[in-house]
Amino acid sequence: MCRRQGINIYPFLRILTGLLFMTSGFEKVISPHQNFLYVIQSYAFLNPLLEEMAAHLLPWCEFFIGIFLVLGLWLNRSLLGLAFLLVMFLEAVAQAILRHLPIEECGCFGGLMSFPLPSVLVFDTALFILTGLMYYKIEKTQRFSLDQYLFKNEAP
Amino acid sequence: MADKRSQVSAKIKITIIVVVLSVAVVLGVKSLKAFVKGSVQANISARVKGDKKAPVHITEFIDFECPACAEGARHIKKFMTEHPPTVYLELKYFPLSSHRYGLLSAQYAECAGRQGKFWPFHDYLIERQANWKRLAHAAPAFEQIAQDVDMNLEILSQCLKDTSVTESIQKDRQEGDTLGIKSTPTYYINGKMVVGAASLGTELNKYVQEAGH
Repeated sequence: MCRRQGINIYPFLRILTGLLFMTSGFEKVISPHQNFLYVIQSYAFLNPLLEEMAAHLLPWCEFFIGIFLVLGLWLNRSLLGLAFLLVMFLEAVAQAILRHLPIEECGCFGGLMSFPLPSVLVFDTALFILTGLMYYKIEKTQRFSLDQYLFKNEAP
Repeated sequence: MADKRSQVSAKIKITIIVVVLSVAVVLGVKSLKAFVKGSVQANISARVKGDKKAPVHITEFIDFECPACAEGARHIKKFMTEHPPTVYLELKYFPLSSHRYGLLSAQYAECAGRQGKFWPFHDYLIERQANWKRLAHAAPAFEQIAQDVDMNLEILSQCLKDTSVTESIQKDRQEGDTLGIKSTPTYYINGKMVVGAASLGTELNKYVQEAGH
C-alpha cells in the first residue's frame, strides 16, 4: 500500500522567516545605530545603558539568526534564539499598548516598513507560534539545510 | 565517533566562514554608504539662529507635525535661553510622508523665512501643533499664524505657488535621506548624530557638565 506524502512546507517557512529577519537586521546594522536607539527609547522599558546596548546588539542578533535560519545552520539554537527575540519584542509591544505610549509605528523593520503596534502584536504572536511549530517539527524543518547536509546519517 | 567529531568541526568551520563573510558584507556596505553620504551642508541664513562661533553647533532635521520635534524644539529654545552664547542652531526640513501636514507646514515655514519671519513662525507652529494637526484643513491655521507674525498674506499666497519652495524642502529631505535619517527629530550636535528629544537632552546636559556651565 502506498501512502501519499504531503508537501513539506516547513523548510519554506524557515527560509521565509530567515529572510525576513536577515533583511530587517541588515537594514538596521548598515544604518546609524542612533535610529534604532530612538525606536527602543520610544518603548520606554529599559534603562539608558541597556537601551544603548540593545541598539548595538539586537540588529546583529536578528541578522545572524536570519542567516542561520536561511542556511539551516545550528537550526535548534537559531529557532530558540528567534523565540527569545520574539518574546522580547512581544513584551515590548504589549507593555507599550497597555501603557498607551504614543508610538505611531513600530520601527521594527528599520526603514523598510512599519506597522501600527496592534498589527505587530498579532504578527509577532503568529511568528512565535510558527517558530514553536518549526522547532517541534525539527526533522521536517531541517530539509534543505546545512545541518542536514553535514549530518546526513545522524541527528545533529 | 571520529566521524561525528569531523562533522562538528566542519560545521564550526562553515559557521566561521558564514560569520566572517556576513560581517565583511556589512562593513563593506557601511563603508560605501559612509563614502557616499558626505556631511551636513551649511544652511541658508533664514533658518539659522545664534552665534556662528558658538561652541555647540546643532543642525536639526524637523517635521513640524511630529510631537517629539515639538518637544525637542522647546528643549533647544530653553537651553538657548539658559546658555545664550553657547549654541548655533540650523534648521532643515524633513517632512515625513506619514504626516499629512508635514510638507504643507514646511512650505508655510519656508515662505515665512522668505519674509524674514522664520523663527517667530516656527515658534507658533510648535506651540500650536496639538491644535492644527487635528484639523481637517490646516491651511487656515497656518494663515492665522502668518497674520499673528505680521506676514504679508499676498506675498505668502504667491510664495506658496512658487515651485522653488517645495524644491528647497525636498533638497533638505534628500540630504537627510543621504545621511541615513529615518525619523524625526534628528540632530547633528557638532557633527554627532543624535535622534530623538531624550537623546538631545542627554547630549546637551553632557556638554553643560563637560564645559562646567
